[in-house]
Order: sequence, then C-alpha cells, then structure tokens
Amino acid sequence: MIATDISIWIAAFFTIAATSYVFKDNIIFKFAEYTFIGVAAGHALVMGVENVKKYGWSHLKGGEIIYIIPFIVGVLLYFRYHPTYYWLYRYGIAFLVGQGIGLSMRGMVHTDFIKQIAATAGPLVAETALGTLNTIIIFILTITSLTHFIFTVKQVHIGTMSWLPKIGRYGMLLAFGAAFGNTVMTRFSQYQGRMLFLLRDWLGIVAP
Amino acid sequence: MGLEKVGALPRWLVMTIVVVLMAIPLIKPLGILPVISESTMDYYNAIDQLKPGDVVLFDIGFGSGGYPTLGPASIAILRHCFSKDLKVVIMATQQEGAVIYPLIMDKVKPEEVYGAKYGEDYVFLGYIAGVQTAMAAVLGDLHSAAPVDYTGKSIDTLPMMANIKNADDIDVVAYLTTAGEIAEGWVYQAYSRYKKTTCGGWLSMMTPSLKPYYDTGALTGMLDGIRGAAEYEKLIGEPGDAMKTTDILNLTQLWVLILVILGNIAFFAARGKEVS
Repeated sequence: MIATDISIWIAAFFTIAATSYVFKDNIIFKFAEYTFIGVAAGHALVMGVENVKKYGWSHLKGGEIIYIIPFIVGVLLYFRYHPTYYWLYRYGIAFLVGQGIGLSMRGMVHTDFIKQIAATAGPLVAETALGTLNTIIIFILTITSLTHFIFTVKQVHIGTMSWLPKIGRYGMLLAFGAAFGNTVMTRFSQYQGRMLFLLRDWLGIVAP
Repeated sequence: MGLEKVGALPRWLVMTIVVVLMAIPLIKPLGILPVISESTMDYYNAIDQLKPGDVVLFDIGFGSGGYPTLGPASIAILRHCFSKDLKVVIMATQQEGAVIYPLIMDKVKPEEVYGAKYGEDYVFLGYIAGVQTAMAAVLGDLHSAAPVDYTGKSIDTLPMMANIKNADDIDVVAYLTTAGEIAEGWVYQAYSRYKKTTCGGWLSMMTPSLKPYYDTGALTGMLDGIRGAAEYEKLIGEPGDAMKTTDILNLTQLWVLILVILGNIAFFAARGKEVS
C-alpha cells in the first residue's frame, strides 16, 4: 500500500528529483541539490557549535582553565581574513597539522610501512597453489611497478630493460580497472537502497 | 550503423535500463544467494567468538550517503552483538552518524528483540569530532573523551560504563565507514597502538586501497560494501535489505559488463577505421 506518511513522500520526491539529473540537468534537480547543501551546512554548523559547547566550553565553565588554549588556537584560524594580522592563522594551522601528523605517524609507520613491506617480502610459496600464484603476481608487479617510477635512470625506460616498467604499467592499469569496477558497484549499491525505499516504503509494491 | 556507434548509447537509455534492472528483482526476486567470502567470515568470527559481557566498540563512520550500503551491515553486526549478549559502545566519527544511529536502532530493536537495556547493555556516545584525535582519545580515556552520551546524560551514571574506561576494557573494535581517513585511523589507533582486534567495513570502491590492511593482518575482518553486508546477513540467518538487493547487484553488474564490452568494441572499431 502506498505510504501515507508525509516524510516518506518528501524523501521520495527528493530521491526522484536527484535521480532526474541522469536524464538532463533541470530545475527540480537544482532544487534538491541546493536543499541538500543547505541542510548539510545547517547541520554541520549546529554540530560544530554543539562540539564547542560539549568539549570546550563545558570544561572551561567547570574551571579547567587549560581549555582556553584550544579556544585561542581556534580563534587564531579566523585571522586568515585580517589584512594585517593574517599570519597569526599559521600558528593555528601549524598546531592542527603537527598534532594530526604526530598522531597518525605513530601508527602509520607500523601498518603502512613495516607490515606492508614484510608481507610483500614474504615467502613465494604459500599453503595453496592459488596462494602461491598470488604471491608470485604480487612479487612481480611490485618490482615492475616500482621500476616505472625510476625517472633518474633513462635506460630503464628506453633500453633493453623497458619491458620491466611496461609490465608494471599493465599491472597498475589492472588495479585502476578493478578500482573503477568497484566504484561503479558502490554507486549502484547506494542507489539500489533508494530503489528499495521507493518500491517498498513509498509505493508498497515490494513486500517488507 | 558502424560498430563504433555502439559506444555512444544515450545516457537516458543506459540509466533507464539500470533502473529497470533494479526494479525487476525487487518485485520478483531471483533468489541468488551470496557466497561467503573469507574476509566476511573473519569479521563474523571475531564477534562470534566473544563471550557474553565482552565489549565491542562500534563506530558509525558514515552518513546518509553511505546508509544504503553500510546501514544493512550495521544492522546485521549489531544484531549479532546483541544476540550474543555483548556490551556495545556505539560512537560516531562521522558527523551524520548521530542522525543515522536512530535509523539503525529502529531496525535492530535491541530492547524488544534481545531484551537489551540502554546503559546496561549498550550506549551511544554520539558524534565525537576529530577523527583520529577522537579515536585516540576514546581508546586512551573514554570517560574524558566522551563525558556524556548523545542524550547529554553523564556516562558515569550508566552501569555498563563503570568497567569500560579505555582500550584495555574493549575486546573488539568494529567500524563501518565511507571515509578513508576513518578506515585508516582505526587501524593506526586501535590496532597499531593497542593491538586490539579490529574489524573494518566500507564501500566497495575503497576496498582496493584498504584491503592490504586485512591481507597483512592489521584488520582481523573486512566487510566489502553491500556484498559483505549480504554475506553477514546470511551468516547470522537474518535476511535484510542487503540480501534483498543481491539480485540487483548481480543484474546491474551484468549490465555494466555488457557496457564495458560494447565500449571496447566501439573503441577498437573506431581505431580500425582510423588505421584503414
């Protein structure tokens, strides 16, 4: 049975309005687009103010004076718009970047470098035949892909060794193709959720 | 018409066929069941081997855009957790996650179906800003990072939080996200620093760049988009939206495959014409 809830009708309208873009850019799509941007911006603003209250202001009010520092760093960011004292914003950015790098580097070195290199440099023979084939492919494509990025030695690309970066290039193209295929699959899977909503929740054609 | 013209199908035709291919299996399901992949099985096992009372930290790292894909996965994972009497600490590292939470819980129905109680068996901390800063803070000192839950109630007053203070008290960190920085963040903060059992799930398009974390053992389990969600639903024996849409995925992917073949035919036909 078709939905009687007004919120479902609104959601159905915006779903169809957003989808209409695949046929042609139109005013209904633009309305949906601007509404989404407006709602998202409004939501982000409210959440931002809430966060300042929850994680900063409440502590400051409770007598934790140390919380004045993030407030000062935050205010410094707005000096970006001041014609004379704009350089002050760099302190805020420096603090944010430094903190972010410090936090992620700690874990990154272990998982992104050491573990990845160790896994790539593992034994070629695995427990199964398919596993062995996989490790051999990883070994070959890692080495050949790396050779593609050797720009300081010209002979690698034009000499008798030029087949090495060529294999690497094909390997990378395969990876890009897989990534593209996954992207298409993701977009469809996101839209199929809306189809389910339209046919089940809105029109009631599909059984719950 | 030359073969090179097949690559120039009008956009409206391509998309209309997509919409039709999505609608048909929803109205008349084909009933093709997903094959369980090793990564989904590992995600499932990581939670299934926990004992009643063990703690799962679950992060909703996605918003409305990711809900059609990751919503069904969240529902399946939380159903699994509640069916095993686990304590679930839910948080959101994505701003819209706080809006998504009620949509998920509306389907999970922890009180009605599993007899779970808010504050005793599960808690929602709301959105915690800062991504990796938030993760590090929650794992370091949960009560300082999130002194109140999403309703504004002090978490010190919630019975289950009395024994959950930091990473030492958390058994599994599970997350679903549409953001690469969140997916990597949990690996850096939960696995790399605390060696916690960490399970990640994300959109299929993120899999090629994030799968190495699963391959190297940094992630114990991995859910690959809607396919992973459908597999998880099958594993817990509760078919949901993901399994309903498996047929759609099969049909639309078949259509994409046809388009790729047509595109290649057009490309080589056009090149052949140029050469001749």
